[in-house]
Amino acid sequence: MAASGRHVGHYIHRNGRFLRVNLDHLWANRSFGWTSALQQQAPEVNKDSSESIVIPRKKTWSKTAVLEALASTVKRDPTAHPYQFQDDPYLAPRTSAEFRLFSLSQESGRSAAKFFVNNNPKFFTKDFAEPHIPCLMPESVTLRLEEVSEEALKERISLRKVTAAVDMYDQLLQAGMAVSMETSHDLLDLVCLYCDKDPEQEEGPQGETGEEAKGRRGRMRRDFPKTLWKENNNAERIFNLLPERDTRCYSALIRGMVKHGAPAKAFSLYTDLLNNRLTGDVHLFNALILAAPELREKYTEKWDLISELLNQMSQQKVQPDLLTFNSVLKALRRCGYVAKTKALPTLSEMKAMGISPSLATYDHILAAFFKSASSGTSNIDILLEVLSELEGRSFTCQDPDDVLFFSSAMRVCLDGKDLELGYKVQTLVEVGDNWRLLGDSFQQSIYYGRFFHLLCMMENIDVVLEWYRKIIPSLYYPNPQGMRDLLQALDTDSRLDMLPTIWKDIKSLGHDNKSELVEELLALMAREKHSPEVQESFAECALNVKSVCDGRPGTEWSASSLSYITTLLLRANKTQEAWEVLLVFKAKNRIPSEELLNSFLSACHTTRDSRIAVELVQLSSAFCLPITSALASRALAEFNLTEEQRAVLSELEVAVESSD
Amino acid sequence: MNQFTYWTKFVARNRVLYVHESLFVSNNCDNVFRILNKVGLKAFSTNSVRFCEKKDNVVTSTQLNEGESQTKQPEQKEEQHVLKADDGGTVSDQANDKPEQILAKSPQPEAETVKSGKESLLDLLGAMKVEVTNKRKLKNMKIKQSFESATQYNSKPEGMESTISMFQKATEEASSQSETLNSDLVAAASAAAATLPNRSQAESELLRQLRQRKALSEAQKRGDMKNIGVIIADMKVGKNSNRQNAWPSDQIRFDDDGRGYTHDRGITSELAGVRKWRNVFQAKRLSIFSPATEKDGVKPALAKPTLWDMDFAHQLCQSTNQMPRNGFEEMIQWTKEGKVWQYPIDNEIGLEEEASVPFHEHIFLNKHLEQGFPRQGPVRHFMELVVAGLARNPYLTVQQKKEHIDWFRDYFHQKEDVLNEADVYLT
Repeated sequence: MAASGRHVGHYIHRNGRFLRVNLDHLWANRSFGWTSALQQQAPEVNKDSSESIVIPRKKTWSKTAVLEALASTVKRDPTAHPYQFQDDPYLAPRTSAEFRLFSLSQESGRSAAKFFVNNNPKFFTKDFAEPHIPCLMPESVTLRLEEVSEEALKERISLRKVTAAVDMYDQLLQAGMAVSMETSHDLLDLVCLYCDKDPEQEEGPQGETGEEAKGRRGRMRRDFPKTLWKENNNAERIFNLLPERDTRCYSALIRGMVKHGAPAKAFSLYTDLLNNRLTGDVHLFNALILAAPELREKYTEKWDLISELLNQMSQQKVQPDLLTFNSVLKALRRCGYVAKTKALPTLSEMKAMGISPSLATYDHILAAFFKSASSGTSNIDILLEVLSELEGRSFTCQDPDDVLFFSSAMRVCLDGKDLELGYKVQTLVEVGDNWRLLGDSFQQSIYYGRFFHLLCMMENIDVVLEWYRKIIPSLYYPNPQGMRDLLQALDTDSRLDMLPTIWKDIKSLGHDNKSELVEELLALMAREKHSPEVQESFAECALNVKSVCDGRPGTEWSASSLSYITTLLLRANKTQEAWEVLLVFKAKNRIPSEELLNSFLSACHTTRDSRIAVELVQLSSAFCLPITSALASRALAEFNLTEEQRAVLSELEVAVESSD
Repeated sequence: MNQFTYWTKFVARNRVLYVHESLFVSNNCDNVFRILNKVGLKAFSTNSVRFCEKKDNVVTSTQLNEGESQTKQPEQKEEQHVLKADDGGTVSDQANDKPEQILAKSPQPEAETVKSGKESLLDLLGAMKVEVTNKRKLKNMKIKQSFESATQYNSKPEGMESTISMFQKATEEASSQSETLNSDLVAAASAAAATLPNRSQAESELLRQLRQRKALSEAQKRGDMKNIGVIIADMKVGKNSNRQNAWPSDQIRFDDDGRGYTHDRGITSELAGVRKWRNVFQAKRLSIFSPATEKDGVKPALAKPTLWDMDFAHQLCQSTNQMPRNGFEEMIQWTKEGKVWQYPIDNEIGLEEEASVPFHEHIFLNKHLEQGFPRQGPVRHFMELVVAGLARNPYLTVQQKKEHIDWFRDYFHQKEDVLNEADVYLT
């Protein structure tokens, strides 16, 4: 649409001369508005000129093209909550724990609704929508066909009912009915994929946008199989019962064995396949390559096995795909020093085959060169090279490991303290839809955590704060360590006056219960004297810290944080509040330092508050501090006291001396 | 640190060291640049760059200087004709220069213990730690170094490392030198002064400076920590707003995270333009596969997706972040799920099979009355009204309309007797 409009504009522009010539003519003949006249006239004008009209070809737009164009006009608003939480502003998460809770409950609410709809289709028979919307209608999850037939078997396979499908297959064989090759392939796939167990009920509905818990589970499932392949399970039994076995049957079994932690069996089955004069397929080889490091002890032997498999692939005329090379590189990660020499040739081989690497490829290569500083080429060099190659490109996910690239690239930057490189990685994340490849929110928080740490360490505080506003909390909820990094960055660049604002953020991020963080904040505020305005704001902040921490049951006040608060209040001439904090010392059985008491007395002196001074000395004596007598004599000397106070003080002065 | 800066500035004013710096710097300027920067001395290093530019003609000779400084045996070479007279002094000064740098730095560990209460200070000092993890490697290299450095100009990393090792060597020496003003130092200072016009003054100045430095370091050793506290409090570490040209070279590299990071990569960034000498992606290929031929690629497309493929797609989908970021993206998601109308709006969506039915089938329904209905009379009249209504009904398909008419046909056939009795069913 916009393009055609531009075309018109272009024509008008080009033929402006004609228009000007014909303008009088137009005005004379047409009575309607002249803009529309202009547009109508443009083709006519074109006829006059000798140029031929090039009619643009009709473009077929995808159904989401309009929406995509619109979506690209919306920029991220760093002050807003993530979109998925905007329906419930009251519940909008402010901490990572709340974020998890909210997104998980959203997700489980959806899957609960879906579960209910699917299991009670009789209540959801009305179809209001015109045209029909299939995804809003209940899916059939229960078995309909009860009789023993191949159709029933197919139904069980499509509903992923593993045990029911195996039962049905057995019944079919007992009844002497033959099962078609295609169906037995599907059955083998099903049994091998789920390792002869029924998949979890919730897995289907939870899948689509499930949050980090699922992500973590997914990662774990990939690395440590949940269920282990058992000897002679139904998959092997069915495989043995088959009248003839082709590559696909072998492939299903081998993939299942590798997936469920039986690599040795997989290799023996592969030998069996070769003995039967069959050739493997690419999936089978991918699985075997991935399993190869588990079969050999030595690094070189592992690599020998991998390269042997690759050679066999090439002999059997099996074309490798992206996953083949990613599996090779992933297997190389477990080959120690061999990885360094073999990773780059593998990449070159990949390019020579015309397969463009995915992010996972680069991730594996970075891992191969991890800690290789002594050999000359560090992974920073590699990353620099990779980034200059990837610059400005947008990616789609081609390998589940793709999502690990960005966080490990940022780790490389962090290890190398290389800010510039970190910025490059971040720019790459910002290109197109690459942010989706940051992975689930857990991965994402790792990535941003590293980035923020790097910033705090290396960057000018103004820039750090700019990023801070940009990514926190809309993209990343920093952990206490992240906040400490920020505090240290503030300290380095002497911007401690920012601390009260940071405290507010700490509160809203829910880190106000981390006593080390709070104490560090107080220590930073109390360390030096600042200008009166700053001291004023610090004192308010300290009071706020105190009230927040008092409001929470079970807060343990340490002597140091209490004395920091007192110092801050004293510096802002809030003697009364400071006195109250001093009383907390007593209530919590903490002992104030002598320094603090001395400075308190000086503060009393400046405000000429003799009452508090006397009480201070009494408090000190209650703690049995050795400084009491010194304080008492100081108070006697410096303050205008009533007779009564004088008596009390001199008594204390003497009492302590005598007790010595 | 401040003091060190101050001291080096003083040195910079001194012409002898001018010469030395420029000499030293001119061949591997970036190395020195970095080493100095490690000590947080930016102003100084910019000076050296300037010298580097000035003294381009010394490039050939200075490589040898470096080698000599390794072995601590200043040798006069013919190539050093440019600054021949200066040479002996320069080299020895170079040797002296290093310990002084070290000594200026030596207070830091002490300060670390004293001020350990202050976290921030610790961090500063942590950031100040000069890397020592590649020491072992460098020691091995040092043996080769004196030979290599004379011949290999193009191997930049080696050149760089040699300065580091020199630095370390100097560190070892520095510990022994701290007791008295070493006679070597004195000799070196006088040699350096010999190159200046005003010989005796220069010499005494140099010696005074050295004593000052020694006194300072000893005072600090005794525990004059307040001084150091002031020094360190004023330090700014590793942060530089002007990042464009001063990139990692002015960042202090340290190793306190225990990840074994050692490689000094300032060299790679500085040589970014030159570093084409090594491209990691130009490695040899394994040469196992031969590129695919066209016909091989066609086969898999025809096969229907297996359960494994679906599981893989599911994994891909799960691993990426599919959350919509704004309302439009959510609508895209809904469009893909088929929950909302597609854009551009087309009100015939979902009526694909109806599109093949021409409009006259919908409107001219009279032909369906030809059979089974009377030609005239009330029934015919009624049916014509029904057909007229059906012709205007947009909600029914042609098939449904036909079924509607068929129903009436059956109905009137069943009731034919009754209608005939009433004389209204006229055939």
